[in-house]
Amino acid sequence: MSIKFTCDDKATLVAYLYGEIDAATRQAVDDHLAQCAACASEVTALGETRSGLGLWAPPDVELDFQIVKKSELPPSNVLRPARWWKDVPAWAQAAAAVLVVAAGLSIANLQVTSGPNGLSVRTGWMSQQPVAAALSEPFDGAAVEQRVERALVSLEQQLRTEIRSVNAETTGTAPRGTADEATVRRVQQLLAEAEQRNQRQLAARFVELTRDLNLQRRADLMNVKRVVNSFAGAYDERLMRQSQMINNVIRVSSTPQ
Amino acid sequence: MVATDEELVVKSMAGDVESFNQLVLRWERPIYALAYRVIGRDEDARDVVQQTFLRAFRALPGFKGQAKFSSWLYRIALNLCRDWIRRKKRTPLVEMPEGIDVVELASEQGPAESIEDLVARQEMSRIVAEGMKKLPEEQRTAIVLKEYHGLTFQEIADLQGCPLSTVKTRLYQGLTVLRRHLESQGMTKFESGKGP
Repeated sequence: MSIKFTCDDKATLVAYLYGEIDAATRQAVDDHLAQCAACASEVTALGETRSGLGLWAPPDVELDFQIVKKSELPPSNVLRPARWWKDVPAWAQAAAAVLVVAAGLSIANLQVTSGPNGLSVRTGWMSQQPVAAALSEPFDGAAVEQRVERALVSLEQQLRTEIRSVNAETTGTAPRGTADEATVRRVQQLLAEAEQRNQRQLAARFVELTRDLNLQRRADLMNVKRVVNSFAGAYDERLMRQSQMINNVIRVSSTPQ
Repeated sequence: MVATDEELVVKSMAGDVESFNQLVLRWERPIYALAYRVIGRDEDARDVVQQTFLRAFRALPGFKGQAKFSSWLYRIALNLCRDWIRRKKRTPLVEMPEGIDVVELASEQGPAESIEDLVARQEMSRIVAEGMKKLPEEQRTAIVLKEYHGLTFQEIADLQGCPLSTVKTRLYQGLTVLRRHLESQGMTKFESGKGP
């Protein structure tokens, strides 16, 4: 039994168009197309339409979807990306680093007070040196050290004056007793200890600062290198394209119309 | 040796998230291409892809393997596309990707194609996208599944939940409307190599 194809059998025409058809039916369509110009023209036009569809492509996008178990996410990921600091500009990171260093240095500042409860020597925030002021000045380790030293000398002098005046009030012109000398020695010892402590803290902070700066410098250098490389690559690529473009233009313009 | 979809599905069902992520990596681009061509919007197509895999992951215990994993994914994605079209109550907008650089295209196509050809190709792509936008959702989906994903008539019928003959009719009608649109825009000859 032979298969006969008719012009209005569009389902079979589509099957023929896409090649999803058995051999016998294909032969029947071929036979018909050899005799029917309208159907042959339609098949050609639909084939060309299919070719046109090949021109339409979706954009080339980055997807990278992943299923991640909630339990595997660190708590910080719930609220912000894990590498949130990567979005912070370098200048802001530098400012934050300066703030941390300034805060550390201000902690290292010495505070010596004398009052009715006696003499107290401690490190901490100095009321005369607010953070804003510290931030406004450029960081200078030597200057800080000198400032601490000056403060210590000034305090020592002030203490000596106060002790002398107290002695004068209580004992008149009598020579200083051994108890006074012990107090002075004690104060001097406290001051020396405080100074040593400050110097150790300063040294530790300098080491940290140097290490942080080195790390930051290396990271910046790597970033700069990466950016320079990418620019160089992009530039080469652009150059190549322009060269291709010029070649194309030359070829097109030299082709006789 | 590359694991098959079925093997990865079995491992995923046993709780291996990494295996499921391999399936995601394997199928995210085809699903995106499908959603983009049906919906026509990049961002919404991305949402559809994300939702498709989330739904698939959650529904994985219920996947019995009667159909191919890819067909199952296509079905989820098409349902989401249909929901999107219904929710928006509008025909899909077909956006051309922004920032198309003719020079970049030139470098991709190689020195044999002239700038004029490239500009013409870009314009033809836009016209094709416009023509697809005009089609009813069922016809457009049938054409997308057939032309770009190579599904058989029967697979499309299963996905669209209609008889096989209806799929052929949708394809014929869709191609005919598209053909008229292209002809009205002066496009008759193409060189993309596709054909019967």
